[in-house]
Amino acid sequence: MGVAKPLSNRRDGRQTGVSVIRFNLNGRWIESSEIDPNCTILKFLRTNLKQVDVKEGCAAGDCGACTIMLGQMTEHGIEYQTLNACIALMANVHDRYLLTSSGIGRAGKLHPAQQALVDCHGSQCGFCTPGFVMSMANLQQNACKAPGHIPDVAEIHEALSGNLCRCTGYRPIIEAAQRMHELPQQNLEYISLRSGVQSFDPRDAEQPLLEANGRRLFMPESEAQLKALLALYPHARLWAGGTDAGLEITQRFTQFDTIICVNRVAELTRCSEPGQDADDQLWLGACVTFSQAEKLLAESFPSFAQLLHRIGSRQIRNMGTLGGNIANASPIGDTPPVFFALDAILEIDGIHGHREVAIGDFYLGYKQTVLQPGEYLRAVRIPKLKATEHLWLHKVSKRYDDDISAVMFALYLSVEGGVISSARLACGGMAATPKLAEKTNAALSGKHFAVSSFEQAAAFIDQDYQPISDVRASDQYRLQVTRNLLIKAFHDMTTAQGDAA
Amino acid sequence: MTFTSSRVTPWAERRQRPAKGKSGKELAHESAEKHVLGTAVYIDDMPELAGTLHAVVGKSSISCGLITKLDLAAVWASPGVVDVVTLDDVPGETDIGPVYKGDLIFADGRVDFHGQPLFAVVAESFDQAKRAALQAQVEYQQEEPILSVEQALQQNSFVNPAHTMQKGDAVSALASAPRQLHGQLYVRGQEQFYLETQISYAIPGEDDGMQVYCSTQHPSEVQKLVAEVLDIPLSLVTVEVRRMGGGFGGKETQAAPWACIAAVCANRLQRPVKMRLDRQDDMVLTGKRHDFLNRYQLGINDDGKILAADIELAGFCGYTADLSDAIVDRAMFHVDNAYNLHDTRVIGHRCRTNTVSNTAFRGFGGPQGMIFAECMLDDIARAVGKDPLDVRKLNLYQDGDSTHYGQPIENYILPEIIDTLEADCDYRQRRAEITELNRTNPWKKRGLALTPVRFGISFTLQFLNQAGALVHVYTDGSVHLSHGGTEMGQGLYTKVAQVVANEFNIDIDMVRVAATTTDKVPNTSPTAASSGSDLNGKAAQNACQIIKSRLVVFAEQHFGVNASDVRFDNNHVVITKDGAEQWLAFSDFVDLAYRNRISLSAAGFYSTPKIHYDRDTASGRPFFYYAMGAACAEVEIDTLTGEYKVLRTDILHDVGTSLNPAIDIGQIEGGFVQGMGWLTTEELLWDGQGRLSSASAATYKIPTSVDVPEHFSVRLFGRPNAEETIYHSKAVGEPPLMHGIAVWCALRDAVASVADYKVSPQLDTPATPERVLNAVMAMQSLQAGG
Repeated sequence: MGVAKPLSNRRDGRQTGVSVIRFNLNGRWIESSEIDPNCTILKFLRTNLKQVDVKEGCAAGDCGACTIMLGQMTEHGIEYQTLNACIALMANVHDRYLLTSSGIGRAGKLHPAQQALVDCHGSQCGFCTPGFVMSMANLQQNACKAPGHIPDVAEIHEALSGNLCRCTGYRPIIEAAQRMHELPQQNLEYISLRSGVQSFDPRDAEQPLLEANGRRLFMPESEAQLKALLALYPHARLWAGGTDAGLEITQRFTQFDTIICVNRVAELTRCSEPGQDADDQLWLGACVTFSQAEKLLAESFPSFAQLLHRIGSRQIRNMGTLGGNIANASPIGDTPPVFFALDAILEIDGIHGHREVAIGDFYLGYKQTVLQPGEYLRAVRIPKLKATEHLWLHKVSKRYDDDISAVMFALYLSVEGGVISSARLACGGMAATPKLAEKTNAALSGKHFAVSSFEQAAAFIDQDYQPISDVRASDQYRLQVTRNLLIKAFHDMTTAQGDAA
Repeated sequence: MTFTSSRVTPWAERRQRPAKGKSGKELAHESAEKHVLGTAVYIDDMPELAGTLHAVVGKSSISCGLITKLDLAAVWASPGVVDVVTLDDVPGETDIGPVYKGDLIFADGRVDFHGQPLFAVVAESFDQAKRAALQAQVEYQQEEPILSVEQALQQNSFVNPAHTMQKGDAVSALASAPRQLHGQLYVRGQEQFYLETQISYAIPGEDDGMQVYCSTQHPSEVQKLVAEVLDIPLSLVTVEVRRMGGGFGGKETQAAPWACIAAVCANRLQRPVKMRLDRQDDMVLTGKRHDFLNRYQLGINDDGKILAADIELAGFCGYTADLSDAIVDRAMFHVDNAYNLHDTRVIGHRCRTNTVSNTAFRGFGGPQGMIFAECMLDDIARAVGKDPLDVRKLNLYQDGDSTHYGQPIENYILPEIIDTLEADCDYRQRRAEITELNRTNPWKKRGLALTPVRFGISFTLQFLNQAGALVHVYTDGSVHLSHGGTEMGQGLYTKVAQVVANEFNIDIDMVRVAATTTDKVPNTSPTAASSGSDLNGKAAQNACQIIKSRLVVFAEQHFGVNASDVRFDNNHVVITKDGAEQWLAFSDFVDLAYRNRISLSAAGFYSTPKIHYDRDTASGRPFFYYAMGAACAEVEIDTLTGEYKVLRTDILHDVGTSLNPAIDIGQIEGGFVQGMGWLTTEELLWDGQGRLSSASAATYKIPTSVDVPEHFSVRLFGRPNAEETIYHSKAVGEPPLMHGIAVWCALRDAVASVADYKVSPQLDTPATPERVLNAVMAMQSLQAGG
C-alpha cells in the first residue's frame, strides 16, 4: 500500500498508467497512489495516515465509531454528509473533502458539537465519541447552511441513528445535540478550504482510479464509460453504495480483483429522465441514495419516505442506493417489497443493450436476478398513486432504528366504490426473495373494503409464504405478524394512515 | 524558586476562592476534551513500534469433539505470515483459567465450544493474519454437544457443584402456607458490546521481560497469567492500561487470553505483537452474561405476603468455570431483591455447556436473580388481584430482618425511596388513567411498573476487597496519582482525583492521573463489583493522609506551631501563629518541605472493614452495605405486532453523598438503558450446532438514541451512606442496570391488561416484539377460553 504525502503545487499528479487519488483531509490536500482497490477509508486513515481519531467499532457500518464527514464541492459550496469509513472504499474520497473529529476542533477551541458534549457529560468511555461528534457536527453544518433552522428531537435521533453508545444511555448526547445550537456556529467549509481549493485536470475515467497488487478499481462518470468498461470486464464487481458489498471485504476478507464503482455515473444518479412523463410516474436513477430518495418521495409517497428513515442509519442512507437495494437481491432488503407493491419497472442496460423488466420478473432465487454479466440496473420507475389508490407499509424488527426487518410488509390497494379493485401485498423476510402474496392478493381483489375481507384474506398468508426461523424471528412469528399486519393495515387505512393521492 | 509551567494558574489567584473540582462537584470526565477531539489514546491508537506484527487466532468450526487433524501448512504459506503458534509452543503454563483451571490458551486435542482458539497466526498485517487463519485444514470427530441449561441439568453437566442458601424451613413453611404459587422464567444473557474490542500489545524487553498494554479491568491478573505462560517471575511483566473503550465486566477475565497469546508470540519472535479481536471474533471468542433458567415455589397468604420460598437458579456457564461460581452465588444473593421471603431455600446450579465460557457483566449474576424476585412479586399481585406496587410494599424488608444468607438488614432506606418516587411520578393517577385507556383501546395497551433495586456492595470473594494507591507530590505543587483501579468510562479516574484534590484542598488541575500499571501499584483487584471508587478512593485518601501527616509534623517543627495550627485551605497551607495567619502557596510549602528532606510520596492502602462470609454455612455479612433505588417505567405495546415503545422512566437512586453528581447520573442513565437493552432488543442466540447466530452488530441490537424514553428523569437520593465509605458515598457502577427491570415489568403489565390483569403472563427475556406478541396471544386465548 502506498505512502500518502501532502500534495505539492502540481496541478495533476497522475501520469499515464499511474493511479493517484487526491483528497482533502481536515484542510490538507493529500495524494496517494498504489492503494489497493479493496482498501476502506478507515483502514487507510488509521493504518497509512495514523489518523487514529477515527475508530473501528464493528467494521460493518453498524456502530458509527468510524463516522466521518465527506464533502463535495458544489455550486453552493461544500456539501457534507456523514458516512461509515469502515465499509466505504477509499475510491469514494477522490476529489472530496474529509473531516474528522480532531480536524474540526482543538484543545481550548472546540467545535460546538464537541463543546456541548463536554458540557453535557456526553462521553464516558469516549470510544464512540468521535463518531457522535461527526454526526452532530454534520447536523450543525446543515443548520449553518439553513439559517434559522434548529433541528428538533426527531431530526437529532435521525442524525444519531447510526451511532451506538454503550455507556451513557444517550440522554446527555441528545441534550448536547440540542444545546450545541445555542453556541456560536462554525461553518466547517473554512477548515476544509484552509489550504485552498485545488482543481485538477479531468482524469480518464476509463483508466483505473486505483491499481495495486494486481487489482484495479474503475470509477466511470458516464454510462458510455461504464459500458466500455463492462465490455472489457463483464465480471467486475459492480459497486454502488457498498453498504452490503463492503462487508465482504471487512467481514469475510474477500479481495476483489476488479471493482467498478457506479455511484458517480451521472445518468444513474439523476432523479428524472428526459422523455419520461413525471406527472404520473417517478423515474429514479439506480444510484439515487436513500437519503436523496427520502426527499424525492416525500411528496408523492410519504409512507415510503417515512419507511426510508428506518433503513439503516443516516450514514448508511447517505451511502446506500435504491438500485443497490434492488439488485443486491437480498430477501431482507426493505425497498423491493415496496417496489413490488407499486408494480415498478426496472430499466436494465449494459453490453447487451437496453431492456426493461417488471420487478415481479427480476428475481430468480436467493440472491439471484435476471442481470447478466456485463449488465447493470439503470433506473426504477414507479407509477404515482391515484385518489383511489393506497400504499401502506410496515417494517417489523427487534429494534426501531438501524435494524434489519423480520418482516417488511408493503400493501398496495385500489379501492373503488367500496370495493377492492386491485391488491398487491408483497413482503420481505418471508421467502428466499422479496415476494408477492399472490393468493392473499387474489382473496382481497373484488372484495368489499371491510375488515372481514382482510380477515378472510389473512388466512391465505400461510399458503403464500413458508418463511424460515432465524436470528431475527421465528417462522411462526413471521406468519402471525404478517396476518396481523393485514388487519392493522385495514384499521390504519380507515383512520387514514397510509399514502393516497 | 521552583519551575512553574505557564499552564499552571498562579497560586495567588487560587487563594481567592475554594479549590476547584473537589469531591462532590459536577466535574467533567477527566478525558472529556480528549474524547470529543478523538485524541484520547486507546491501545490500537498508540504509535506502533517498527516491526510490529499482528496475531489472529484460528477458530474451531464445531462445538464439541476431538481434533483428528490440524494441518497448518496452508496457514504458514499464506502471504505475510511470520509465525504460527500452537499449544506446544507455549513455554510455560498452558491453562490460563483465572480462578479455576480449565481455560486452555489453545485447544488441546479437543474442542468444547464453537470458535474455540486452536492456534495463532502472526503476520505483517492484521488482514493477512485474518486471511491466513482461515486456511487451516482441520478435521474433527464430532461429539454430541450440550447446548442448553435444560440439557445440562438433565445430564448433570456442571462446572462446579450446586450451592444452597437457607433461612428457616422453606419446605414445611411452603406446605403450611394458605396459598402456593409456582413459576419459572428463562432469562437470556447479554453481550457486553464495549465499543472498543479486546486488544493487547506485547513488547518484549530485557531479561525475557514483557511489557503489555492491555485493555483490561484486571491488569494484575493479566500480569500473573502472562508471567505463567512465559514461565517468568511476575516482576518481569508489566501491564499497563490508560483507558478502555468500555468494559462492563467483559474485560475482567476475558482480556487475558489475548494478552497471553500476544506475549507468547512476542517472546518467540522478539518483536512487538499486537492482538486485536475484530468485532466478529470478539463476539464469538469472549464470554457474556449468563442465561439463567429460574424456578420458584412460593407460599403466600391471601394478602399477597410471602411466607416461604423455594427457588432454583441455573446459570448457563459455558464450557469452563471462569467466574461462574461467584456469578451464580450473586444471583442467589439477590433473588430476594428488596423483599423478605421468610423461610427460604435457594439452590444455584452451574451448568456446563458447549458454549463460550460466560463471564462477568455489570451486575454479575445479580440482575438475573433480581429480575426473578420482581417476576415473583408480579405473579403474586395477579394471584391476589392487587396492584403489584402494593404487593411489593407489603413484602419489603424492614430494619432488623435478616436475609437468606444471614446478613442483617439495617439503614434500610428503600421504603422511603419507593414512597418518594411513587408520589413524584404520580404512580396512582397514571395507574388509573392507564387502566381506563386499556379498557377502551383494543390495539394499544399501556403498562406501568415501579420496581426497587437493592444491590450488595463488596466482592463476595473477600480477599479482593483491598486496594492500593501511589501519590507523589512534586515541588511545584503538582500531584501525580496512580491507583489500582482502571478507567473504562465510569469516571473512576475523575472521582479519585477529586478525592486527592479534596484531601490537599487544591485545584483538580494540579492532580494528574496516570495510567494504571502494575509496576506502580502491585497486586491489585479487578475494577469490578462497583467497588472502584470505594476501594481506590479510600486508598488514595490514605496516601494523601500519610503525606499530609508528614507535612503537618514538618510544619509543627519548622514554624514552631501545633498540628491544629496547620490547615490546608484554598490551594494553600495556612500556618496560624500567635493569632496571625501565614498563607503559603501549596507549591511553596511542599518545596520548603522537600528542602527540609521530607518525603512527598506515599503508597496508600485500604481494605474493606466489617465483611465476612462463610460459604460452607452460606452465612455472614458478604456486603459492606447495599446501594438502593427505584424506577418507574411506562410502556405502550401494539397487540397486533408485539412492538412497543418505552414512553417514560423516572428513577430515584441512592449514591450516598455523591462524589460527582454528573458522573453518578451518567452511570445511572447508562446503566438503565443497558439493562433495558438486555431485557428488550438484545437477544443472544445460538443455533442448533452451538454457533453464535447473533454474532455481529447487524444481528445483536443494543439500544439506539430513539429507544431512550422521551421522558427520562433521574434523581439522586442524597442520604449519606451510614457506613464509613469515602466521604459517605456509595458505589454506583452496577446497581442502576437493574432499573431496566422496571421496563420488563411494565411490558408484562401491559400484556396482563389483555386478560384484565387476572393472569400473570409468561414473558421470557428479552421481551422482543415476538415474545410480547406470543404473550398477548396467550392472554387472548385465556380470555376467549374463560
